[in-house]
Amino acid sequence: MHLVSVMRRCVWAVLLWPNLLTSSVPLDCRQEQGGVSRCSSISQEKLLDRVIQHAELIYRVSEESCSLYEETFIPLPLQFQRNQAGYSCRTLPIPSSRSEVQQISDKWLLHSVLMLVQSWLEPLVYLQTSLDRYDAAPEVIINKTKWVSEKLISLEQGVVVLIKEMLDEGLLNLNHSEEALFQYDVQPEMVESVMKDYTLLSCFKKDAHKMEAFLKLLKCRQTEIYNCS
Amino acid sequence: MATQDVGAGPRPSPAPAPAPFRITGTRELMLRLPRASPLVRLVSLSSRLTGCASRRERALLGAAAGVHHGRGTEGRETGKTLLWLPLSGAKMRNVFEVMLLLLLLLLPLVTAHAGGQPNSPPGKPVLTSCRSPEKETFTCWWKPGSDGGLSTKHSLFYRKESSDAVHECPDYRTAGENSCFFNKNNTAIWVNYNITVVATNSLGSAYSDPVEVDVVYIVQPNPPENVTVSVMEDKGWPFLRVSWEPPRKADTRSGWITLVYELRVKLKEEDDWETHLAGQQKMFNILSLPSGGEYQVEVRCRPDHGFWSEWSSTSKANVPHHFRRDNSTWILMTVFFAFTFLIVAWLLHLNRHNLKRCILPPVPGPKIKGFDKKLLKSGKSNEIFSALVVPDYPSTPSSNYEDLLVDYLEVYVPTERELQLEESKDPHDDRLKSDSSTSDSDSGRGSCDSHTLLVDKEAKEEARQAECGQTRTEVQRSLKDWDALTYAQIDMVGRDVPSGRVKTWPSLYSPLPRHSSGPLDQQSSLQMAKQHSLSTSSFLAQEASGESYWDVCSHGELPRPLRAKTPPHRGLRARSDADVSGAGLKRAPAGPRSLAPHTSEYVEVQRVNNKDVVLLQPVVTGCYQALPGEVYSKVKRVDSDNILLLQREAREEDGYPGAEQENTTQKASACVYAAVLVQDQMAPMVNGYVDTATMCTLTC
Repeated sequence: MHLVSVMRRCVWAVLLWPNLLTSSVPLDCRQEQGGVSRCSSISQEKLLDRVIQHAELIYRVSEESCSLYEETFIPLPLQFQRNQAGYSCRTLPIPSSRSEVQQISDKWLLHSVLMLVQSWLEPLVYLQTSLDRYDAAPEVIINKTKWVSEKLISLEQGVVVLIKEMLDEGLLNLNHSEEALFQYDVQPEMVESVMKDYTLLSCFKKDAHKMEAFLKLLKCRQTEIYNCS
Repeated sequence: MATQDVGAGPRPSPAPAPAPFRITGTRELMLRLPRASPLVRLVSLSSRLTGCASRRERALLGAAAGVHHGRGTEGRETGKTLLWLPLSGAKMRNVFEVMLLLLLLLLPLVTAHAGGQPNSPPGKPVLTSCRSPEKETFTCWWKPGSDGGLSTKHSLFYRKESSDAVHECPDYRTAGENSCFFNKNNTAIWVNYNITVVATNSLGSAYSDPVEVDVVYIVQPNPPENVTVSVMEDKGWPFLRVSWEPPRKADTRSGWITLVYELRVKLKEEDDWETHLAGQQKMFNILSLPSGGEYQVEVRCRPDHGFWSEWSSTSKANVPHHFRRDNSTWILMTVFFAFTFLIVAWLLHLNRHNLKRCILPPVPGPKIKGFDKKLLKSGKSNEIFSALVVPDYPSTPSSNYEDLLVDYLEVYVPTERELQLEESKDPHDDRLKSDSSTSDSDSGRGSCDSHTLLVDKEAKEEARQAECGQTRTEVQRSLKDWDALTYAQIDMVGRDVPSGRVKTWPSLYSPLPRHSSGPLDQQSSLQMAKQHSLSTSSFLAQEASGESYWDVCSHGELPRPLRAKTPPHRGLRARSDADVSGAGLKRAPAGPRSLAPHTSEYVEVQRVNNKDVVLLQPVVTGCYQALPGEVYSKVKRVDSDNILLLQREAREEDGYPGAEQENTTQKASACVYAAVLVQDQMAPMVNGYVDTATMCTLTC
């Protein structure tokens, strides 16, 4: 009896052992690229396309919100002098010219994108709180900002997956342990706040465009290695 | 500063100049001008134009020019010269020199007014625009300010956003004058450039306003290239296919720059362009071509964050003429007219009866009673006329005796006059009336007819009436039971033979004579008469006062001459007048009702034998029996007016007593005669038709 039961278990184990090696990965991936789990059924190409589309959309929305903000809050003479107040965009160690961009590798492209994305997660949250403090901020700007910050999170996830796929690197830790760049307790006065927010928006717009351009270049490199300059 | 320079300038200048003039002690300026003063003037002008002259030279020439030109402005000098003029010639030369000196002293002022500061720091340049054609390089242009009379050097300095290092423009030449070209290596994307232009000359420098430039936002690509337009066809309709290529320098393939395109098209002779947005594709189909002709197409492009390029060069294409617009117009018109036509036809259809009545008014048909249109359509004239002819008594034996109406038969037996049985099938008004005028002398006519046709009944009738009154009522009652509205009544005026008159009331139906063509029993004829009366009773029942009644009066006097009434028309007419006409069956025969009992004897039609002879028999009081046929009278002739003229036969005396015999035999039984009433069905159609039959019902 005992032997029979053991035998039976062994037989079951022998029959079922291939299943142990397979991971329980759902065959159909989640459609958004923000899925953290490894999705093996989507091709790299498709994933990259989706990431690019995401970045394009983020850029477009940020452009719209920036121009809206400009029209609403910034008087005309100041519109073309963005850095008058001394607020400049943060520059990260990422390539900023075409030639530079051409020289860096795919790996650095992706990492630059990731860096960019991660650097903006927190400021966008700050921007949201700042806009909420306004008396007559248009609903559109607030909604767009909210939307952008959400999408940025998913973009980050997508880039992480891409890095894993393309560069075969391990999962990067997603915790953002950077020092808080913005102090939330300090509430600047209105004009200052307005200028600061404006700067933030315009800088984010630029960085969004950067992300989009890097990703597109990366795509080009994937498809045509020799012709992408 | 400028004024300072100007002020400091001219003082030392006259001194080191080569001296076409010298300054004398009297502070007179002796100027030896060359003779060719116009030449000097020209030279001065030319030197001004070139601007190459030094300040000193310009001053001198200006002085010379001023001498020639500046007379007007120098009020004081002219005044002074004028003062000097009246002097002598040599003195005049001195004066002239003084004048020139003064002029020269005042020259800087003049020249200062006349224009062009000779030495000044440059004016402020202005950066007009910076453009990048492909997001990899960019160029900035500026407009220089005034150069202050000295050679001015412009230089462009820029500072990148994050660093404080200031760099100078690497390339001033490539893009032309007053421009700075940044090549690939020096172009940083997403970085703000702080650009300033400085104009420098020996006296100073001028800084322009700084301009922030981000290359990404200043991209204005070149126009698209290789714009080709081809005419293609789609199911018969032509359309234009436009294709182009991105500008050569823009790197759209790698996605570095994303371009959207727009094209515009117009006919050659038009002024307004029709624009189409093509997106990122490089090919576009223009389908909405209004008509044929020569089309011009232009394309331009724009990055997703930049400026529109210039329009490309015009490409032309010839589109053949097609009838698209015409077709649609014709189709529309056709549909519209068809629809209208359908609506009109539908309306006509709905109103077709009205239209028919309008266009083809109905032909009034004959309104003759008894006129059968079907017969008319069948075309048998015999039948038609037979239908018209109501009691076709002598000649139409085959018709149904129901259709034939003979009102009554009046037999008038006067002593003087002939006894005639009259039958009026279609009595006219005049006849009736005439009759009524003469007929009603018999007061004892009875309840049947006040317009009595009986004539001359006074005495006997009264007597008889007295007799008969009772019987009459009895008979009336009996008749009512029978519900017989018709009767054949022969009023016999009996007693006085000479004055006896017998009037037979309507008792003759046209069917009777017909039926008499065949062998008929007395009984059968009577039966027929009865039937006929019955049949007509319903017909006459409509009479409101169809008080046909039996007027049966028996009288004892048998031998009585029975005479038909002589004036048949009148009698009958009167009767019929009293009677109910075919149409006016409702008319109350006043006559019959008011029949006073009179002493007339009545004869009923027994039968009609085949010779068209009416056999009459005396009416027995209340008795209806089949009596042996007695030929009472014979038909004399049939009038054209359908009047039956009866005459007594030769043995009328025989018949008469025979009738009386019969009459007496029947005396006892109370019976009711159905007065056969022949009614002319056609009668109502005739004006004032009054059927000859007086409806007298006698009830048992």
